[in-house]
Amino acid sequence: MDGKDLISIGEASEILGVSIDTLRRWDKSGRFPAEKSVGGHRLYSKAKVGIYLKDLLALAKDWCVNETEIPEMFYCQNSGIFQARLKRMYDEIATVPALAPLSSLILAVTGEIGNNSFDHNIGNWPDVSGIFFGYDISRREIVLADRGIGVLASLKRVRSSLNTDEAALSVAFMEILSGRAPEDRGNGLKFVKKVITENPMGLVFQSGNTEVLLHKDDGSLHMKVAQNIIRGCLAQVTF
Amino acid sequence: MSRPAGREAFLAFSPVLNEIKEDEPILVDFEGVVAFSPSWGAEFLVPLAKKFSNRVAFLNTENPSVKATLELLKEIGEV
Repeated sequence: MDGKDLISIGEASEILGVSIDTLRRWDKSGRFPAEKSVGGHRLYSKAKVGIYLKDLLALAKDWCVNETEIPEMFYCQNSGIFQARLKRMYDEIATVPALAPLSSLILAVTGEIGNNSFDHNIGNWPDVSGIFFGYDISRREIVLADRGIGVLASLKRVRSSLNTDEAALSVAFMEILSGRAPEDRGNGLKFVKKVITENPMGLVFQSGNTEVLLHKDDGSLHMKVAQNIIRGCLAQVTF
Repeated sequence: MSRPAGREAFLAFSPVLNEIKEDEPILVDFEGVVAFSPSWGAEFLVPLAKKFSNRVAFLNTENPSVKATLELLKEIGEV
């Protein structure tokens, strides 16, 4: 490894947006190992730090499954922060001419998924409020996640007979919910499905133990059992 | 784009709506809209359509997200 590539734990902590103590823990557990200087200080490869930040899905999944700390740059504690970062994402997308026909749809789909997290968990966050929101326009990828109550628990309020994640996701993506009492429900995920299946886009959406896969020109809902169970929601949008 | 933003917009616009004459058409112009979504629409367009029913018309709906949102809201009978 090139010595110039190495940075101190303090610098790595700043870039990653996690505390020095967290980095020490991650080193001890092997989750994100450090190099050691001659004097025994922890050093980090800048390249490795960059790669770590690029794997958005792994970061979000880890946050959902293992309840790890996430870099500050991906954490939106409230809806206001999310809206501001959404606008920033749109500004970046707007600089890519090839994405012009899709830009408003990418923004709308991302907004619906993120806003759903806030709307359905308000006052009910089981532990950490807010969402993970990361994007990489060059890789055509957006990742959102929350540690909320999940689709099943949220829909049970209006459809008490639901008892599996698969059934709840099917209702969320396919069925129009009428008779909105006792909770006002939107049709955000129906909109997401419509947009994804009518445009060159893709979606992987997980809640509980079930993963939904959607892509262009395929109106059916492909579902499979996920590798890890998450309580809230995890979504990867590709375009 | 969010539900609270749509709700806030509708409340802010309510005084104007209260002054509309009985035979006056309601034109919703999407000119200059960057992106539109059902969450915002559910809080603004749906109550608007409920209040004024067939007097509401939409203009400049070419933006793909406006088009997709209106299609969905129409499909589910909300506007």
